[in-house]
Amino acid sequence: MNFTSFKRAVIVAAVSLGLASCGINSVPTAEENAKAKWADVEAQFQRRANLIPNLAEVAKGAAENERNILTEVTEARAKATSINVTADDLGDATKMGELAAAQGQMSQGIGRLLASFEAYPNITSTQGYLTLQSQLEGTENRIAVALRDYNEAVRNYNTTIRTFPDTIGANIIHGAEPLVPYKATTEGAEEAPTLDMTSE
Amino acid sequence: MRAILVCFVLLLSGCAQANGADNQRPALELTGRVVDAAEILTPQFEDQLTTRLAELEAETKVQLVVAATPDLKGHDISDYSFELANAWGIGSKERNDGLMVLVAPKERKVRIEVGLGLEASVKDEEAAKIVEEAIIPAFQNGDFEKGISRGVDRLIIEVSPAQLKEAA
Repeated sequence: MNFTSFKRAVIVAAVSLGLASCGINSVPTAEENAKAKWADVEAQFQRRANLIPNLAEVAKGAAENERNILTEVTEARAKATSINVTADDLGDATKMGELAAAQGQMSQGIGRLLASFEAYPNITSTQGYLTLQSQLEGTENRIAVALRDYNEAVRNYNTTIRTFPDTIGANIIHGAEPLVPYKATTEGAEEAPTLDMTSE
Repeated sequence: MRAILVCFVLLLSGCAQANGADNQRPALELTGRVVDAAEILTPQFEDQLTTRLAELEAETKVQLVVAATPDLKGHDISDYSFELANAWGIGSKERNDGLMVLVAPKERKVRIEVGLGLEASVKDEEAAKIVEEAIIPAFQNGDFEKGISRGVDRLIIEVSPAQLKEAA
């Protein structure tokens, strides 16, 4: 390699690196990441919704109180299913808030149902109930994790489009708008618990 | 030309700063396949268990870690074990096939944490059954070793290839 071509190579490398650092690539990458994380959230919401018919089956064996809670849960489910937040709606705070409200209502209803089933040993002692309970709890956990991951991706994206130098590309080329994090209606549920993971 | 290059260098340095990751240190140190920070197991049992878990990994590639923590520091066991298992990075990063049994004797809690890649092998209800049937009865008698041993047996069956599962 002679001197000239070497110099050219350096410039090409410098230019491409320079472009990479002003948001040409980092902004869409961060956006796609947030969208992918949202798809995970949706999948877990769907998984929970799919378990509601089994819950209804169990509630049949209980009293009126439980059937009332079940009605709340199924109504919240219908509401939540009707609010379709696609990857393109992630900047829509109103829609996001409505979805969070409906999902939160459903989650609380499920929790109350499971708690009140405890009064029915004939229900809770069945294998089917143990299965359903573990699936619902597992799904709640997965939803919590998926939401944390999504919120983290949104924070990352929003920081990227507001921070120099990525903000140059974000504003001039991509016209990037900030995304909305998911705010769970139950206090603090969408935030990762600040575990003091440092060993003493 | 030089001015432009200087400019790029500045941009790059700004980028490097923004990408600085915050590495959290795990609550417990990962000292081996069996981490008995709560000191509920005898060294002989730990050795036997470690050998079994090493064999499991040799046969199925699945990494199973058994941990006992002195306390959960006021956290929910599901949060604690999830964070711990991820901080330790149990299992292969590509396959996400880590498994962890976490015992918190002080809070009287136990949990099986299942990596994403093993969710089909160890379903929620299967993990719940293992905890209910194999682990808790022994723990209630104060026998941590028996509970852990039986729980690990059942987990090994779940993650082993189908023919093994049928034979068991």
